[in-house]
Amino acid sequence: MPETATETKTEALLATPWNVVVHNDPVNLMSYVTMVFQKVFGYSRDRATRHMLEVHHLGRSIVWSGSREQAELYVQQLHGYLLQATLEKSEGC
Amino acid sequence: MLIRKWKKKAIEFSRIEQIEAELLKQVPPCCEMDEGSGAESRIFPPPADAAEAELLRDWEEYVRPELRHLFRSAKETVEADLDLLKMKVGRLGRFVVPLEHGESWLNALNQARLILAAKFEFSESELSAFDLPRTFSQRELVLQQINFYAAIQERIIEILNTADNPKGSEED
Repeated sequence: MPETATETKTEALLATPWNVVVHNDPVNLMSYVTMVFQKVFGYSRDRATRHMLEVHHLGRSIVWSGSREQAELYVQQLHGYLLQATLEKSEGC
Repeated sequence: MLIRKWKKKAIEFSRIEQIEAELLKQVPPCCEMDEGSGAESRIFPPPADAAEAELLRDWEEYVRPELRHLFRSAKETVEADLDLLKMKVGRLGRFVVPLEHGESWLNALNQARLILAAKFEFSESELSAFDLPRTFSQRELVLQQINFYAAIQERIIEILNTADNPKGSEED
């Protein structure tokens, strides 16, 4: 039983959606952040700009949601571009 | 200084004055930071909050060395490109770098700006003001240096965007 319980917990964790959140920082240029969102997520210029403005005005933006493994990869890529990004469990899960 | 796309495959830095050359040569040294400093915390931020202890441990062990390698590699690319810049007394400088080095330039300039901003603890309002310096303190001059690097980044981004989107291409 404990093994099954652990497996169930792991499956539940993997199934939980995770958010990739980008936080505002005053050094990164708006044009740079937009370019990074286009490169990392393949977003259109309009969508990337919307997320950039959300980061700029609200202090953070959820730029992507999905599996934990993919979220970790995206956060690593964003850190490679020197953006402040974190992953968070999606609220309500 | 003039920065433009050159022969479709390169970025040309030309009409470089002595002071601009000095500031450009400062990019790689500015990417250096002390261990445990505020600058290091900014360059390597945590990927999640403290509740994700296992992720933070794995990140430290596996991801951080990769990021460190990436940042060092960008810095070394810029360093090698800058070796091409030879200034002669009374003459303006020029050098050309391959277009594919553009991302390394953006990365190294970003490292330099982030590290300088963290070292000198500039506030958001200081960083977003583009006023001319009122005094010539080291702090004011570093802020101008950060803005100079930002202007170069903006120009490289424009060039890379036109490279990705040939319809908006600039003439060489």
